[in-house]
Amino acid sequence: MDKSNPPTLFVIGNQQGVKDWKDYAIDLTDTAIAKELNTDAYNLYDESGKLVSIGYCYECYGIIANPDLIEQAGHTMDEIKNFDGLKAVAEDIHARAAELGFDAFSSSDMDDSSSWRFTGHLANLEYFYEERDAGGWTECPSSLTGKYMENYKNLYDLIINNSLTAPTDLATGGHDAENEFKTGAAAFFVNGSWEYAAVSETVKNATMIPYYCGVEGEEKAGLNCGTENCWAVNSKVSEADQQATIDFMVWLVSDPDASAAMVEQLGIMPYKNAVESTNGFLNDAAKYTADGCYVMDWATNYQPNVDEYRAALVSALNAYNADQSDANWDLVKTAFVDGWATQYAAANAA
Amino acid sequence: MKQQTLHGEKVRKTVMSVVLSVICIIYVLPVLTVVINSFKLNTYVKTDTFALPIGDMWAGFQNFIKGMTFGNYPFYKSALYTLIITVLSTALILLFCSMAAWYIARVNSVFCKVVYYLCVFSMVVPFQMVMFTLSKTADRLQLNTPWTIPVVYLGFGAGLAIFMFVGFAKSIPIEIEEAASIDGCGPLRTYFKVVFPMLKPTMISVGILEIMWVWNDYLLPSLVLDINEFRTIPIHIQYLKGSYGTVDLGATMALIFLSIIPVIIFYLICQKYIIKGVAAGAVKG
Amino acid sequence: MQSILETNEALAAEAAEAPSAEATVRESLEAKAKAARERDLKGYKPPRRSLFKNPLRRWGWLFLGPVVAAFIIGFVWPFIQGIYLSFCSFRTTSDAQLLPAKGENLFGNYIKAVTDPSFLHSFWYTALFAIVSLIMINVLAFTVAYALTQGVKGSNLFRTVFFMPNLIGGIVLGYIWSMIFDGILSYYGTSILMETKFGFWGLIILMCWQQIGYMMIIYIAGLQAVPEDMMEAAKIDGATKTQTLFRVVIPNVMPSITICTFLSLTNGFKLFDQNLALTGGLPFIIQSDGSTIKTTEMLALNIYNTFYGSNVAAQGTAQAKAVLFFILVAALGLIQLAYTRKREVQQ
Repeated sequence: MDKSNPPTLFVIGNQQGVKDWKDYAIDLTDTAIAKELNTDAYNLYDESGKLVSIGYCYECYGIIANPDLIEQAGHTMDEIKNFDGLKAVAEDIHARAAELGFDAFSSSDMDDSSSWRFTGHLANLEYFYEERDAGGWTECPSSLTGKYMENYKNLYDLIINNSLTAPTDLATGGHDAENEFKTGAAAFFVNGSWEYAAVSETVKNATMIPYYCGVEGEEKAGLNCGTENCWAVNSKVSEADQQATIDFMVWLVSDPDASAAMVEQLGIMPYKNAVESTNGFLNDAAKYTADGCYVMDWATNYQPNVDEYRAALVSALNAYNADQSDANWDLVKTAFVDGWATQYAAANAA
Repeated sequence: MKQQTLHGEKVRKTVMSVVLSVICIIYVLPVLTVVINSFKLNTYVKTDTFALPIGDMWAGFQNFIKGMTFGNYPFYKSALYTLIITVLSTALILLFCSMAAWYIARVNSVFCKVVYYLCVFSMVVPFQMVMFTLSKTADRLQLNTPWTIPVVYLGFGAGLAIFMFVGFAKSIPIEIEEAASIDGCGPLRTYFKVVFPMLKPTMISVGILEIMWVWNDYLLPSLVLDINEFRTIPIHIQYLKGSYGTVDLGATMALIFLSIIPVIIFYLICQKYIIKGVAAGAVKG
Repeated sequence: MQSILETNEALAAEAAEAPSAEATVRESLEAKAKAARERDLKGYKPPRRSLFKNPLRRWGWLFLGPVVAAFIIGFVWPFIQGIYLSFCSFRTTSDAQLLPAKGENLFGNYIKAVTDPSFLHSFWYTALFAIVSLIMINVLAFTVAYALTQGVKGSNLFRTVFFMPNLIGGIVLGYIWSMIFDGILSYYGTSILMETKFGFWGLIILMCWQQIGYMMIIYIAGLQAVPEDMMEAAKIDGATKTQTLFRVVIPNVMPSITICTFLSLTNGFKLFDQNLALTGGLPFIIQSDGSTIKTTEMLALNIYNTFYGSNVAAQGTAQAKAVLFFILVAALGLIQLAYTRKREVQQ
């Protein structure tokens, strides 16, 4: 930033970046570019409420569903508006799996290449609702309450017990979950928007639904959306340069050709006049937002000592998968909640 | 009576042969399992690990084709980098360590003694002791590419090589070198014309130990190299497990098969030297 | 130590026998050397040995330079810095600060290391592993070596096969065996990652597969060196096979047994790649405060995880663990050396 010819536009991707660089960024509140946004879900503010940086694209994750299979099983997507609906459909499909020729959920492997879908993504529902209760997190909390662990358990149990693979066989992985969904062997697949290209090759109508987990008012839940791609404008350059930069940003997100090129690269842009995405899951996310549903932001990104934290959770979930006893779930809770505090303390030790 | 013992001996040997053959078959089974699974469709590797890849399970060369680009990293690159690092490191170690060892064996100075004993000492130091500081040092000195990491191998691998070379160089009669010197050979020429050829048997032993070490080494390159750009075969295989997305077991087995082939060929060709070299390096382990 | 000296002698002897171009060069040089000695006898004043050595001495920078430079980069400096850092608080090597400068105990990192339950667990686990693998590998390797020296047909083929796994790298080995164990265990609805005992015995089997061939080679060399006349004498005295084995053969191969014992012991303690690739420490014990003990994590992996487990504050502790680990492994090496030396004196 102290180079002789500093960039006018730069990326501040997370709260740590805001802490480090906020003095170098102008307040974007009420600028032309801010008015182009269709949501403020991806904006980063500092503690004084200054709009330091704004998102220019995002990704989302949730439960990918195959509506055709669900109809084949005699259900409709409309039945799935909350956890009870999801549970009824999934359990019915699983019970009739042999007759239908497909099962509810694809395999939820616990090896390193897959476990993040449960220790990272799925865990987000617990963090998000805690965060929402706390009025939003601006930095990693030193501990969790674990208030929504039951909800995490609801959805997790549903996924592992209504799946192609027995829960006891998940530890070392080796099941190709993506392929199971693509070939129509499973109706649900827990993953993110980056899977759209691969999945839509064969499942044209694939759609993404939120993590319904039995929380009050979850009928208004949206997808888990987030980004680390946020623009900030350098406050140390002339006002004319700042204005030119903002004009350039507005052009990028509103000009049909420019925004089309950007969307092709990035997936989707959270701006009113940007062209529509070709990624069906991101469009699903945008549609939930447009319908007034709340975005579940990526509170998962705060996980302290992320590798250690998740490794412990994997081990606890393995034990639980093998034997779904209360004692084993208590261990999952310990790894999930107490593990957070322990890892927070370790990561922030002097 | 004698007839009987001879007969008993014969029976005993046959029984031993049979027992050993059975163990032998058990011994190659793990490798065979890799081979059969590399031709099996991914979904069956997990469920029918020990079945032959016939019928529905047969995947042809599909796993090998997929394996080439599997894990978002081309396999040929990791094979190439592994080869470059192994060849360069071994060459550096053989050349410089044999030179240094000859010097140490012939020049009786305090400095030589210090270097020699430090080398012997380094053989009992486990890598974890220096792993953090070594990787930082290598990074600062830009020794983090396949073309420069051999310097790190030369440094960390010098101990064993110097130890073995010095032991042998001391046993070479000094008169030959003296004669060469009288003939007007400078030390460098004496070394390359006289000493170097005589060190050949030790060169082979040391060379084989270093090749086996560097080719299979995982931790040192994974800490020193930029993993996104340069992956050796062990790093590539380890990272397949952790890569996002589902691990294709069939393709993984194909890659493991491919990575074992050169090792087996190398072994079958140089078997005599390998067994001798490995026994010679027993002290390091 | 003994074996290497023997091997070097054997190699030297072989070099002397090798009828090759080098040998011819050497012969001519030897002739010259002889001529020089003869001149010497006739009263000719030969160049003194020091005159030969002096020119070489001046070339030290060329002969020693590259190795010394690389050795400093690759070993000496990291080693010294490693010792220093074990008394420091640091995030990178450049911001290290001695602990007393921060008002902490100089040995703070060591105290943290030895009171870390995961480190203690990995120590005992590693020790148990090393001892069990030591016994298994050596008993099996000796048995195979003994069988192969009885003049069984196809000995060479067997030897080739048994030694082969030794060439495959630890990471690949771990992957192969994890597939095999899971192939078997999945019939029983479980996996090698589910139980500590599976991980333990799995790693033992893996190490046996890899190491037996290696130890076998050393034992074969030892067995072949048992004096023929002693065997003959035992036969004449009417000793049974078993008696010969325990009274004659084993005492004579004691040096090989010592070498192999210490080798498998240090190998067991230093094991890393196979441990990482087979179980990576799983399963964990989740403690009540949410911290974990990785039940199949061995010492080397514990140190690695402490360094790189995304907790930068623990790097000082990790370096202290590394120093303790070094002392342990070096002590084993020194005991081995002392023991072999003692035996050599006795004989």
